[in-house]
Amino acid sequence: MNHRGGWALIKRSWASWLQYRSFFFVLAFGWMIPPLIYLFVWTTASEPAPIAGLTPPQFVAYYLVLILVNQLTFAQTNWTVGDVIRMGSLNSWLLKPMSPLYNAIASEVAGKIVMMAFVVPVSIILAIVLRPELTTTPTQVVLCCVALSSAWLLRFFWGLWLACLAFWATRADALLALQDALIFLLAGVVAPVALLPSAMQTIARVLPFYYMVGFPVEVLTGQLASSEVATGFVIQAAWLIVAVVLYRLVWRSGLKRYSAIGG
Amino acid sequence: MTNSQIQVNHLVKTYQVPVREGGLRAALRSFARRQYDTVEAVRDVSFSIEPGEIVGFIGPNGAGKTTTLKMLAGLLHPTSGEVRVADHVPWERRPEFLRTISMVLGNKSQLIWDIPALDTYRVLGEIYHLTSTAYQQQLDELVELLDMRELLTKPVRNLSLGERMKCELVAGLLHRPQVIFLDEPTLGLDISMQGRLRRFVLDYNQRHGATVILTSHYMADVVALCPRVMLIHHGRLLYDGGLADLAARLAPFKLIRVGLSNGHTDFSPPSGVEILQHEDDHLELRVARAAAPAIMAQLLNTLPVIDLVVEDPPIEAVIDQIYQEGAAVLKTAEPPTGASEEGAL
Amino acid sequence: MRYLRLIKYFMLSSAQADLAYRANFAIGLLNSLLNLIVGVLGLAVLFSQVNTLNGWTFASTLALLGVYLTISALRGWFIGPSLEVLAGIEGDVWSGRFDFTLLRPINTQFFVSVRQWNWFALIDLALGLGAIGVATVQSGGAQPLSFLVAATASVAVLYAILLIFTALVFWSPGLLFTWVFDAIMQLARYPIGIYPGWLQFVLTWIIPVAIMTTIPATALTGDIQPMSLMGGVALAVILFIAASVLFRLGVRRYNSASS
Repeated sequence: MNHRGGWALIKRSWASWLQYRSFFFVLAFGWMIPPLIYLFVWTTASEPAPIAGLTPPQFVAYYLVLILVNQLTFAQTNWTVGDVIRMGSLNSWLLKPMSPLYNAIASEVAGKIVMMAFVVPVSIILAIVLRPELTTTPTQVVLCCVALSSAWLLRFFWGLWLACLAFWATRADALLALQDALIFLLAGVVAPVALLPSAMQTIARVLPFYYMVGFPVEVLTGQLASSEVATGFVIQAAWLIVAVVLYRLVWRSGLKRYSAIGG
Repeated sequence: MTNSQIQVNHLVKTYQVPVREGGLRAALRSFARRQYDTVEAVRDVSFSIEPGEIVGFIGPNGAGKTTTLKMLAGLLHPTSGEVRVADHVPWERRPEFLRTISMVLGNKSQLIWDIPALDTYRVLGEIYHLTSTAYQQQLDELVELLDMRELLTKPVRNLSLGERMKCELVAGLLHRPQVIFLDEPTLGLDISMQGRLRRFVLDYNQRHGATVILTSHYMADVVALCPRVMLIHHGRLLYDGGLADLAARLAPFKLIRVGLSNGHTDFSPPSGVEILQHEDDHLELRVARAAAPAIMAQLLNTLPVIDLVVEDPPIEAVIDQIYQEGAAVLKTAEPPTGASEEGAL
Repeated sequence: MRYLRLIKYFMLSSAQADLAYRANFAIGLLNSLLNLIVGVLGLAVLFSQVNTLNGWTFASTLALLGVYLTISALRGWFIGPSLEVLAGIEGDVWSGRFDFTLLRPINTQFFVSVRQWNWFALIDLALGLGAIGVATVQSGGAQPLSFLVAATASVAVLYAILLIFTALVFWSPGLLFTWVFDAIMQLARYPIGIYPGWLQFVLTWIIPVAIMTTIPATALTGDIQPMSLMGGVALAVILFIAASVLFRLGVRRYNSASS
């Protein structure tokens, strides 16, 4: 392990990415829009009468938190790691005396910080304009932080193993489009999962996508019973283990293939 | 001066570039507010070029060569000064003007990556409004000259660098331009491919009388192609004339290599001769350019010479000297006294 | 005539480039289907909870989605691919390849607007038109002529806005203005009435994406006002002229500022 090298890399990535700040602001802006649309859709729809017990200000709160969570957990590795493998610049990573995982984490952390510089102010302004209603307890805040951290880890490793598929198929990014669609439909973006038709709801609660975005949001907004929170944590942890194992498997055999073919 | 192909008067170009320093703090500062530096890329440059000339622009990186080239091609507005190319003001970018010029860049491709070059050529033929006979004829001629018929139908991405450069040249010359700007055309190519492209440019220039302006960091390109060179440094035109004269002005010396018959190792130098090397029966001497003929005669008379070679210092060394030391070299260099007519190298 | 022939050649060479990657067809099909499915499922989820959204029924919202998908498809067919060549960190303006564009003896705006064609976008077009068809049958009372006029005006507005965003690249070559637009364009998937007043104002007057989908969609459901149709056409003309002027200014800036 080479922590000093890793930290230097993070600092350097941050410095150079600040110069591309507009690029990241645009990315962050684009990612904000779909939840924002459904914020307005559901607040309008729930105006005549609350839907599933949620009033317009509660929908505002749900979606504003979701925007933040979505930005914090968004897996950039899909693009950073995947592109590096596709473009053949992985060699320079492999030549460094530290794990390439650091490169992934460095770009992850650096990118997230730059994007937060955009998303947090915008969210605050939206909160002032749209007046959310959020009642939460300290326990919920703590639980949400835990759920959020493991949601980030889950999405990071999930994105990483998908990105590593680029070792086999140069067009593996098609799978990423599929994943984006699933996250949109099942992770709580198109609607809070409780509002989905029952079949979709069951699928959503089994697949990992809800635990990447919607789960931490609902832990904070208190939409879940404590038994649901407990099961949620168990399923989330299980998927996290699966994701890490998949990543290690795919990365190792991918690297073997990469060195066999010669990049 | 109206019949000059290219006429440049007092050309100036300045622009502003953001300043960036290393380190996190500097990045944060430039995040908040960018600072700009004014760069004088081209300062008061004047020259004229006649139809059919081949002129080499030389100078170190960032000297202003490419900026000048771009202003001649109409890609850049000058800050001040006048330019006429083929009786047009380039930056008005009139279609008639654009049809008479062409620019080939060694480091940028104008071909479409995923399809064969031939298909790019068809589109270009259409863009340049060529009749189908003219298109076919000109394409055939270029393909013949470059011997590249088999490359036409391969996707560009599958071509080697040298093959791609051939295709770029065809793309650039398909509309038979009168003025051709070649920016580093041999960049990254192997020796034989470089030679091949040089012969092609010369051939093409002689066939069609096209005016060619070339920039290159390979002196061999310039030596082989350009009877006239312009040396640009820090945005100024430091020298405009023959390459041999440039060498003579900068390095007013000749190198003489002498081989003596077996066993004769004594040698006492005549005045004005500097011995660079003396190994047994082999001598390497440096003499003033003007004194060279006399000293050669003296050597031949007094020594058992079996071999004698007179050389100019290598051009790369001369150019390197300018790049390193800048304009000072040219100013202090003696004007050529007995300007030699024999070609450099 | 000459420019029409040029378009033909651009189309042909783009088709060749597309066909070089056969796998892209399957991926394009997958993406298009996902796009449609996500859109329709989104509506289905919404209308499983409510009957109308701010006065819009399922059928009229589907018509809106159909118009959105169709216009996006036209954009993806040639406007987007052509203009995107200029923008971005690998783009022509940033890398300086735009020089070659400027050296061509044809109208620069025309050239940058039609030189790339993405034929896979026709899948999107078919799906979008399909959604429009279904919505029209469900609601009845469509006004085909008004729809055609409104849709043409919308495409012109879209082109003009994209050209404006692209022209901004000359001031900030790395910035992906068309991405910003893509994001904002998504807001047009839903009736403009659901947004708060200030956002409605922005989407109507500043970046008029809402108009692009709403006017043709109301023509489909038969609720269109003659005034809004005329307004749409007028907007298209004004924006087209403004965009052309801005683009020309951008090219001039490139001419004087690049190195």
